[in-house]
Order: sequence, then structure tokens, then C-alpha cells
Amino acid sequence: MSLQFVIDILSDLILLIGLFFVFLGMVGLIRMPDVYNRLHTTTKIGTLGAFGVMISLFVRVGFEPIGIKALTLGLFLMLTAPIAAHMIGRAAFHHGSSYGIDNAVIDDYKEACERLK
Amino acid sequence: MWQYPKTRKICLGGFRMSSILLSFALTFMAFTLVPCIYRLIKGPTLSDRVVALDAMAMVIVVILGVYSYVRDSVFFMDVALVLAIIAFVGTIAIAKYIDKGVVF
Repeated sequence: MSLQFVIDILSDLILLIGLFFVFLGMVGLIRMPDVYNRLHTTTKIGTLGAFGVMISLFVRVGFEPIGIKALTLGLFLMLTAPIAAHMIGRAAFHHGSSYGIDNAVIDDYKEACERLK
Repeated sequence: MWQYPKTRKICLGGFRMSSILLSFALTFMAFTLVPCIYRLIKGPTLSDRVVALDAMAMVIVVILGVYSYVRDSVFFMDVALVLAIIAFVGTIAIAKYIDKGVVF
């Protein structure tokens, strides 16, 4: 059992975790009933799925150009995916007619928006 | 079995585990684009389509990353980085367009 063997097994495991989260995001994209639920599942593709795959490549390659760029790409996706999801969610709340928010049990953001006006 | 052109992975007793897993990853993520296209066509509101487009760009970025490792070429990773940046800026622009009616 050499070090390369352990690194390969670890990298394969992280790659499988990333693929599993991509799969979960796609199932949610088909099955979820609302914009906000779909947003909730597809953000996991960016934060856990893509970051997992990129970390897997970094573990496999090491400090070479491909590994450094994979790490940079993973950190960039991890930073920007929640920001994009936040912007889409806010836009969908203000100007999208959606199914779930009209019969929601509690809606604090609407009350806060009305209090600000 | 079909082998990739330039691989630098170890052979585990003549059995290339990593090569099989990377082939599976590329095939799986190519099939993963189908739900995005479904939601892109069928989505009831504009926000659904933006969500599907964002997820699709992210999956393509992951495909490019894995393909860059498989082909042992750095340039696909540059393409993936540029595509990630452009997808982020485009998502922000469309969200601001839905919200306010203007982009800037």
C-alpha cells in the first residue's frame, strides 16, 4: 500500500460524493414544486458537488497547474453560487408569480418589506 | 476497454479503477444535462429558467474540469474558469433584470 494508492482512493471517494450531490440537485430540479425549493437544491450543485469534484482533482494532481486551477475554480464556485441563488430568490420573490409563496404559512420578508415602505 | 490517450494513473493489478470512475463521471454528468433542459423548456416562470441555466452552466464547468484532467491539458480548466465567471455575471444580470427591469 503506497501513498499514491491512498491518494487515489481518497480522490475517488471525494469524486463520488461530488457526483452524488450533483445527482441530488438534478432530482430536486425535476421533482420540487416551487422556485425556492428548486433553488435550494440546485445551489448544492455549486457548493458541494462542484467543490467536491474540484477538491478531488486537486487531491489527485497536487500542486501542479491543473490542481491549482481546480482549487481556484472550486473556491470561486463556492463563493459565487450562494450569491447568485440569493439574487434569483429575491427577484423571484418581488416579481415572480409563484405557487408556493401565496399559501405560505409564515412570510416574514413580506412583512419586513411592508414595514420599510 | 477503451483507454484514454494520456493517462498517468497507477494500475491496480491491471485494473484501472480511476479510469472507469472518470468515464462514469463524464457519462453521468452528460446525462445530468437532460433535467436542466427539461426545466429550461417547461419551467413555469422566468426564475425557473434562470435556475436551470445556472445549474446547467455549473455542470458544464464540472465536466470541463474532469475532462481537463482526463486529457491532461490545462487549457480546459481555463475555459471552465472563464465559463464560471461569465455564468455568474449573467445570472446576476438576469436577476437584476427580473427585479428592477433594468440591468444597471
